[in-house]
Amino acid sequence: MSDQSGASGNLDPSPVSSSSYTKSVSDFIGIGLLLFLLVLPKLSVLFGAIENYIFPAPYGRFQNLLSSNFLHVLILIFLYSAMSQAWNIIGGYCGQISFGHSVFFGIGAYGAGMSVVKYGMVPWPGVVAGAFAASLIALMISYPCFKLRGHYFAIATFAVVEIFNRMFMVWDWINGALGLDYPIIEEGWKQFIWYDSKVEYYYGALALMTLIFFIVRFLETHRFGYYLRAVREGAEIAESLGVDSTRVKLSAMALSAGITALCGSFFVQYNLRVDPPMVMSLDMSLNFVLITVLGGIGTLWGPFLGALVLIPLQEYTRAWWSGDGLDLIIFGFMIVIVVLKQPQGIQGIVSNMFKTKKRE
Amino acid sequence: MNNRCFWLFMFAFLFGILLPVSAEEKILKIGTLFPLTGSCALAGQRCKAAVETAVEIINNKHPEINVPLAAGEGVLGYKIQLVHADSQGKPDVGKSEAERLFDQENVYAIIGCYNSAVTKPASFVAERKKKIFVAGCSSSAALTERKMHYFFRLAPNDRIESKEFCDFVQWLNKNNSSNLKTLGLIYENTEFGKHAADEAKQIASKYEMEVVVDVPFNPGATNLNSEVTTLKDKNPDVIFGACLGGDYTLFIGTVNQQNWLPKVALNYCSGFQDPQISKQLGEKGYYFAGASGYSPDFVKIMPVAEAIEKLYKEKTGVPFDTDSILETVGMLVLGQAIEKAGTIDSEKVAETLHKEEFVSPLSFGGKVTFDEQGQNNKAMSVVVQLQNGEYRRVYPPEYSTASVTFPIPSWDKRK
Repeated sequence: MSDQSGASGNLDPSPVSSSSYTKSVSDFIGIGLLLFLLVLPKLSVLFGAIENYIFPAPYGRFQNLLSSNFLHVLILIFLYSAMSQAWNIIGGYCGQISFGHSVFFGIGAYGAGMSVVKYGMVPWPGVVAGAFAASLIALMISYPCFKLRGHYFAIATFAVVEIFNRMFMVWDWINGALGLDYPIIEEGWKQFIWYDSKVEYYYGALALMTLIFFIVRFLETHRFGYYLRAVREGAEIAESLGVDSTRVKLSAMALSAGITALCGSFFVQYNLRVDPPMVMSLDMSLNFVLITVLGGIGTLWGPFLGALVLIPLQEYTRAWWSGDGLDLIIFGFMIVIVVLKQPQGIQGIVSNMFKTKKRE
Repeated sequence: MNNRCFWLFMFAFLFGILLPVSAEEKILKIGTLFPLTGSCALAGQRCKAAVETAVEIINNKHPEINVPLAAGEGVLGYKIQLVHADSQGKPDVGKSEAERLFDQENVYAIIGCYNSAVTKPASFVAERKKKIFVAGCSSSAALTERKMHYFFRLAPNDRIESKEFCDFVQWLNKNNSSNLKTLGLIYENTEFGKHAADEAKQIASKYEMEVVVDVPFNPGATNLNSEVTTLKDKNPDVIFGACLGGDYTLFIGTVNQQNWLPKVALNYCSGFQDPQISKQLGEKGYYFAGASGYSPDFVKIMPVAEAIEKLYKEKTGVPFDTDSILETVGMLVLGQAIEKAGTIDSEKVAETLHKEEFVSPLSFGGKVTFDEQGQNNKAMSVVVQLQNGEYRRVYPPEYSTASVTFPIPSWDKRK
């Protein structure tokens, strides 16, 4: 898939997506969206109050719209777009398709989990330790793997997931297959745990996503980002221009892994449980890749658009046609259509629409 | 232009999916949460059908079935409506689906989740919301050690089964003047297997049995040679296994290949008790035994099961198994508790569940009571042994239909 998108899209960056005009439009939309998302929970309370005042009813439409399930879907969208964006750094911008990101995700999750469950502390030391551990392990795994190219690199990362999954299954210190279950503890930002409310998780996930999108937005226009793309387009050419491709790839991997671990920590704090199949599975690894591919690999908005389509699809189809696997069927179709019709993903579709409009 | 129409259509389609739907009627909604897709999908679908069977009995007049609530329609005037959700066998999905069932669908209680690892976080959600959660067949003992007030579990947990296995071994020793002392454990490396093994170790020490070998394996393994070699090396008298489905078949096959046998082999849960497995293994599987809560020949000691099984068979095409029947029992007991409490107030119904004794013609002994942690006190399973292609009950003596074949005849004497 990467090759296709590389061939038709990335090798020949469309003038629209790289012009500074589009960049500022994109920034404008991004900041606008962020502001909207920031006030969304408050807004609905306000609207709900007004609505209840006019039509007194037990459940106002707006309040219902912002029910805990709706927030849950938003939280997942933020989390998965953050994860996919982290993957996008190495997979999209640097062109190294990794199926091993669930390992880093899992390490982050276990970092926070161990901190709370085994040591009875707040999760934060574990979050930091997990991020560093993930970066370190990413470096150790990637160094030999980067000797491989293209598909061979991707296959090697597949194996890494299996190795870590099995290892964590039998590792008694982290409770092995039993997993870590959170005890009932005090709620609050210090513990980053809330049992009934989801609004705080919403802001937590929004902050996480914003942080990662800012990092990638920063990379896009700075030297390191250009190095990444140079390495993607051709390691030899990049090296001939004085870019140390191995170093660039390793730094990108470490950065990506560290950020992915942060997402893992959020995941465990949100679910209050972690066991190896929950986090270190090929399923989870595929999420990183598929969301980005669907949304638009190697683009800033791709991961968000991918998650925006996939997560509601997944959550709502499961709710309404439970157990038919319908979401997977629709999702499969979408991937096929996207790959055939628009290898740049939803991002490509959106920018094409704007392009057509402008010509008219 | 055509292209654009196409994408507009796609967006419109997606938007259509996202529009919320809701329909409210004056009924009592109960959620079910099972792995309807994924690797345990078959078991999950059967559990779902089992709950549906129970609801059919409660909602409609079934004078031919002699269980409480069958004769009338509904409970306390409420008709029960089920809302099904899919956990995919994943704890995180199970948790969020439980939240959705309570918040969005406004269900009154949830029945689920088959996988112990999913039941844990999902029932935690229910506890926080002070709603009742009934687990039929999740067997991890840890579930009922969390001091939860609204959680009830029907299945015998792996501690009860471990104790029963040890009792069985002691009974064999007494009756056959044998001396079974060493114990080997082989278990899948999951919450279920690991927990079962831990319980076995604890209980075995009380029965003066020595665990000489302890072998975990990864579920879905394609090869168990080294695991069986390890067992063969230590040659324990008795084996407790926690292997399910295909793993069990592979295990017996490998034991046969390596030409080794323990004197007694017992398997947790009903992992070994699938008609498919006995077909696949043929004679190789004979004389291995395990715990079972139900198999079709139980109809003789549970006469009412036949009529209920007919309803269930219409949905699934197969008879009840140990797991699914517990889900039916769960729904029936919950219905009875609501009726006895005389209200649908969760707090009062939970109290009733804790205090009262419930008639359950689909359980051994016909009674269900819960302790303060929600474990079914009366839960028990029997030891069944596969003899000449049929699962025969061999222990405890009062329920047995055949005498136990002990020790397992060696491979060369079978042909």
